Amino acid sequence: MIDRIFAGAVLLVALAYVVLAFTVIGAPFQYDPLGPESWPRIIGSLAVLCCAALIIRPEIEDFSASKQTLLRLAILVGMLCAYAFLFKPLGFIISTTMFSFALSKFLGARVKPAGLFAVSAGVGGYVLCKMILDLNLPSGILKQFL
Amino acid sequence: MDTIINGLGAGFAVAFDPFNLMLVLVGCFAGTLIGALPGLGPINGVAILLPIAYGLGLPAESAIILLAGIYYGAEYGGRISSILLNVPGDAGAVFTTLDGNPMAKKGEAGRALSLSALASFFGGTFAVILMSLFGPLLASYAVTFSPSDYVALMVFAFASLASLVGSNAVKTLLAALLGLMLASIGIDANTGVARYTFGIPDILAGIDFLVVVIGLFGMAELIHLVEQQVSGKMKALKIDKSFVSWADMVNVKWAIVRSSFIGFFIGILPGTGASVASAVAYGTEKRISDNNGTFGKGDPRGLAAPEAANNAAAGGAMVPMLTLGIPGSGTTAILLGAFLLFNITPGPAMFTQHPEVAWGLIASMYIGNVALLIINLPLVGIFARMLTIPQKYLTPLIAVLAFIGVYSVVSNPHDLYMIIGLGVMGWLLRKLDFPLAPVILGFVLGGLFEDNLRRALSISAGDWSILVNSPDSIVLYGLAIIVALVPVFLRKKRAKV
Repeated sequence: MIDRIFAGAVLLVALAYVVLAFTVIGAPFQYDPLGPESWPRIIGSLAVLCCAALIIRPEIEDFSASKQTLLRLAILVGMLCAYAFLFKPLGFIISTTMFSFALSKFLGARVKPAGLFAVSAGVGGYVLCKMILDLNLPSGILKQFL
Repeated sequence: MDTIINGLGAGFAVAFDPFNLMLVLVGCFAGTLIGALPGLGPINGVAILLPIAYGLGLPAESAIILLAGIYYGAEYGGRISSILLNVPGDAGAVFTTLDGNPMAKKGEAGRALSLSALASFFGGTFAVILMSLFGPLLASYAVTFSPSDYVALMVFAFASLASLVGSNAVKTLLAALLGLMLASIGIDANTGVARYTFGIPDILAGIDFLVVVIGLFGMAELIHLVEQQVSGKMKALKIDKSFVSWADMVNVKWAIVRSSFIGFFIGILPGTGASVASAVAYGTEKRISDNNGTFGKGDPRGLAAPEAANNAAAGGAMVPMLTLGIPGSGTTAILLGAFLLFNITPGPAMFTQHPEVAWGLIASMYIGNVALLIINLPLVGIFARMLTIPQKYLTPLIAVLAFIGVYSVVSNPHDLYMIIGLGVMGWLLRKLDFPLAPVILGFVLGGLFEDNLRRALSISAGDWSILVNSPDSIVLYGLAIIVALVPVFLRKKRAKV
């Protein structure tokens, strides 16, 4: 069933992809025999066929993940999004320390080791990557101190 | 022959440059570490560290030497978690657990680790030697390929992908098509027409290769790790004082030679890397040598075979990538993308246009294999300690590395959301038994495939028969049909027996 649902969703995307290739995409002049539209038409149509084949003959029956696991993963994705949201405004050190603490705590670490780990990931990561390796990382609100 | 000797000479001059030599060692060491971490394999390691290597601003040959070191270093390191933990780092190391872990349980962990290090060394070195012999040959032949021949080559690549990778050909094909579709987003270079950009300026130049790689192989792996997280500690077996003996080496010598051959040639086939190679090598060895039913119970030959094969496959997979521009495995697809980031297009012309990169890489692999053998024999204890790094610290670290990588290269906060989204998609695909390597192969090859098709039809003014006009392309289509039909025949044969 889950195969069918997924293949159905991909089918919708692939159909939209093909429809756009047949309607919207086109060059004002013909530069080459195929133009920008033929390739998407070919691969999009093949993708539609593959999805149809999967819907007719699905393979996996059920989705082997409990509600609890899915909830854990949803929390994980939420944490990642929060990290992405805070990454630039707060800067690498603070956002990384907060994220590392939250995630390692969530995965079962105790407060003290998690805190130690988080601070060393944030500060150590910044020193290593920005100061030694000269990679581009955001300084954020700590800008005037760094 | 002259070109090979001259090329190797020039290559070693590049590889023995002190800075590059250091990068070989750093790459091998980091690769072994990553390979030894349970759950992380070569493809995740290269994916996570690629943007950081790129962000360092190294010259092209140095960055490639570093990344390649991580690649085959991780193939080496994968055996450590397979043997001591019974947890393979990736699909290529699964068969190492079958005899490696029982040996460790019998109190022969030291023997298993040293034996497999030697087997890996032979497999890896064998592959580099064949690569330096056949690579330039293949490249000089492929220089004459016309665009229509390239189209045939791509068809062959995708046919072998669909037939040999994954359990379900339709799913593998769909995965490759998704990669091709992702690659078609952005401005069409030939006409300047925007495709599937929906007016979003960020994706006019196409979706960044680094973002796709980090999303599909870094973030998806992270989500997978959290899903699989086992409560309680995994117990790693202790390394004892036992060591490989001369009699062991004599015992496994044919297993290593056979498996190196198998590994190298399977590695060359597009899309099929270490996982298929080690499976075939183990199966073959079991059929030939397993007279007393000792395979699976700690037979040294059953350990040496997959280890020699997966390291030989790692080298074999580099051959089509370097000479034809068609990667032989998921990880080499990422390496191909790395070449493109440096504005070097791997392919037949690379050996003449960028000899320092092509030969420097090959020479560095000779050095790397020796270095890996040396660091893997006495230092194996250090790597084994990595096994006990708890997941609760490893997991956040992967996310932080992925974020550093994407931000330091692309510097666009939106791409951070993009990798999370692609990570969820990659996790879902994996969960539904879609192989991920074809997605990245499709993504990397998409532009090349389309360009060659359009160039071929421009030459013929729209006549499609140009695609089957040369003997080379007809042979390639023939091979594609054979590769596509082989599994069907095998299945029928198995059904009869």
